[in-house]
Amino acid sequence: MKKIGVFVCHCGRNISATVNIDNVVKKIKKYPGVSFCTDNKYMCSDPGQDLIKKAIKEKKLGSVVIAACSPSLHEVTFRNNSVKAGLNPYLTEIANIREQCSWVHTNIEEATKKAINIIESIIEKIKLNESLSPVKVKVNPKVLVIGAGIAGIQTSLDVANAGHKVILIERSPSIGGRMAQLSETFPTLDCSQCILTPKMVEVSQHKNISLYTFSELEEISGNVGNFKVKIKKKASCVDNTKCTGCGICSEKCPVSVDSEFDEGLGKRKAIYSPFPQAVPNKPVIDKENCTFFLKDGKCGVCKIVCPFEAIDFNQKDEIIEKEVGAVIVATGYELYPMKNIKEYGAGKYPDVINGLQFERLLSASGPTEGEIHRPSDNKIPKRVAFISCVGSRDPEHHLPYCSKICCMYMVKHAFLYKEHVPDGEAIVFSIDTRTSGKDYEEFFTRAKEEGNILYIRGKPARIIKQGNELVIWCINTLTGKQLRVKCDMVVLSMAIVPSSGALQLAKELRIQTNSFGFFSEAHPKLRPVESLVPGFYLAGTAQSPKDIPDTVSQASGAAAKVLTLLSSDEISHSPIIATVNEELCSGCGICVETCPYDAREMDEERQIATVKEILCEGCGACISACPSGASQQRNLTDDQINNMIKVILQ
Amino acid sequence: MAKDKIILSEMDANFKYEIASMPGAEHFQRCFTCGTCTAACPVAEVHEDYDPRRIIRMCILGMKKEVLSSDLLWMCSRCYTCYALCPQGVKFSDVIDVLRDMAIKEGYVPKERYLKARELDKFVQELRCDLINQKLHPDKKLDDKIKTKLDKEIKVKW
Repeated sequence: MKKIGVFVCHCGRNISATVNIDNVVKKIKKYPGVSFCTDNKYMCSDPGQDLIKKAIKEKKLGSVVIAACSPSLHEVTFRNNSVKAGLNPYLTEIANIREQCSWVHTNIEEATKKAINIIESIIEKIKLNESLSPVKVKVNPKVLVIGAGIAGIQTSLDVANAGHKVILIERSPSIGGRMAQLSETFPTLDCSQCILTPKMVEVSQHKNISLYTFSELEEISGNVGNFKVKIKKKASCVDNTKCTGCGICSEKCPVSVDSEFDEGLGKRKAIYSPFPQAVPNKPVIDKENCTFFLKDGKCGVCKIVCPFEAIDFNQKDEIIEKEVGAVIVATGYELYPMKNIKEYGAGKYPDVINGLQFERLLSASGPTEGEIHRPSDNKIPKRVAFISCVGSRDPEHHLPYCSKICCMYMVKHAFLYKEHVPDGEAIVFSIDTRTSGKDYEEFFTRAKEEGNILYIRGKPARIIKQGNELVIWCINTLTGKQLRVKCDMVVLSMAIVPSSGALQLAKELRIQTNSFGFFSEAHPKLRPVESLVPGFYLAGTAQSPKDIPDTVSQASGAAAKVLTLLSSDEISHSPIIATVNEELCSGCGICVETCPYDAREMDEERQIATVKEILCEGCGACISACPSGASQQRNLTDDQINNMIKVILQ
Repeated sequence: MAKDKIILSEMDANFKYEIASMPGAEHFQRCFTCGTCTAACPVAEVHEDYDPRRIIRMCILGMKKEVLSSDLLWMCSRCYTCYALCPQGVKFSDVIDVLRDMAIKEGYVPKERYLKARELDKFVQELRCDLINQKLHPDKKLDDKIKTKLDKEIKVKW
């Protein structure tokens, strides 16, 4: 029998204030199987760790129980420490007497009893622990990036520049994402496309990046280090090897529909490239609107006019299979639907528009070529209102969170409007103005002074159309007086929500989102770019609303984390996973159905179930489902759990 | 309401908890003073000093005496517009009820005030309906009824 040593930590006063350590040590010393027990003020300190190492060697301990804080904090510390003293790491266990005992109790006597109980149950567990070694697996050094907005672009470039192959997929016809739609960026007023397009071109020319636009993730299987992915490349009906991007097809196409890129303010054709600097600069056919597909082959003008015979109506969707070691999710955001804001007439009054639509009006490549014309009658609006927190900060009707970027883009919008229409009036309605970014407050001050923008503190109650004008019902909360403000156009700062399809993607990837569909990070402060599932990383607004500098930082952060994973050829995987007692297994296959990780499979020849070790996450689902007790968790067997329960119930 | 300096230490810090403990007013401290309530308020539209947002601020600051003895408490027409629009779920129409109740219970106003207010609301609603009806379907009888209301009932009762 292995000699067991138990080490009780005071954790300063975190444990010792509620648990009588002396009594614990006295009691545990006498427990059957324990050959050594002592305590220390800080077991995780260097002297504490040295004390354990010394005891392992001198007392010839075979296993070690540390009674201290949660295993999520120092399990690794103490296991590594035991390894230094020559012990297998899996023969060291933590008894959590802090989070599960001292922190949640006030009665010293009762807490001390409970601490003893917890330690005894872990002693029972460790008696049957085996020496284990981690499962090793080779890492595929390729990386899949989903979404090619600025987040996906930045993270791809960082990984590719470090020498790794990147597969970048984007569902729309061009990369660039939301940033490509913006006119200027705050607080510097850089032209958005001028700073973005060089990066887009770099992506398209990079030898390490394989770009798939008009493509979506169809399927993914596998685990960190070794994923198999299927990418669906939608038929664009254009042979990109022949197409030169001359644009004659779009010019001659007789179908005209609302342009998604111009947020419905402009038109595009059924064969189109979303914007002039699109990457790749090859058009796609929108089958839902193309006459050829709607009316059984009538039309086909694009095919007739194409000088390079690049149009191929028979092109089929293609499934591309790839293997990668890590996945970065950068699927971005969209705006909360305007039609949900009935009190502002949004979606009903054409001159009540959203922030992205205003960007398109400001943009030189937009539907008005950068002139501000209001949608209803193309007149130049002389008084424009900008309203903040529309749908955001409204748990009663819409979304509770702050969308973060609106305050700043409203400053920018009002400022740029005044630049375009110097004799116009810009009025901003806001509850607060949050300018917590580098140079943001300075920009705000400059805009108010130079731009002569009127800020009214208050959230409008409703907007009513009177003739050609929109009347805003508001108060100025600083004077307490009701206001009725007439204006020609209203720009709503709509709340930011995750891209459509994000939830579906999360299901396919089996990673978590919060209740609004933003992908969840592993830790809100200390692990902001990793998901909770190993191998998946997050970048940009797919994780939460954020501005361009934060998005780019996070994208580079995710790339750095991926590069850390790829820095060695092998990764190790916890050996605390399922095993099968082949003599007991009846081959019923219940485990195969139960496993959420595809880690269980049938050996048809021997008619027993097996474990694909690298896929097993040790969740225990198959073990509790196994009717014969053949499936067992390593170092957490039924016998161990029974013994632990017995001690606790004594 | 007074424009004097507010001495916080002289205010009733428990006032807000007292209000929040009453049904309907549980979440009134969520108010972030966006002013949507006042912006749409039909009373604020005609009354110089009536401002629901300001009443909530005063409650949160602990201005118990000022709030409960204020005439403004009785101006609310309980149309629930503020209630419907508030993004934070403050339910101001219910808060007003809580405040009126407190004002009576704690002797800031006579008990009859509440009944009188209810009666007046009813009278005004009747008059309003009659006026609308008369506008839509002019009628001599109705005309007389309105005149009686204006000439006699208002003078005698109110």
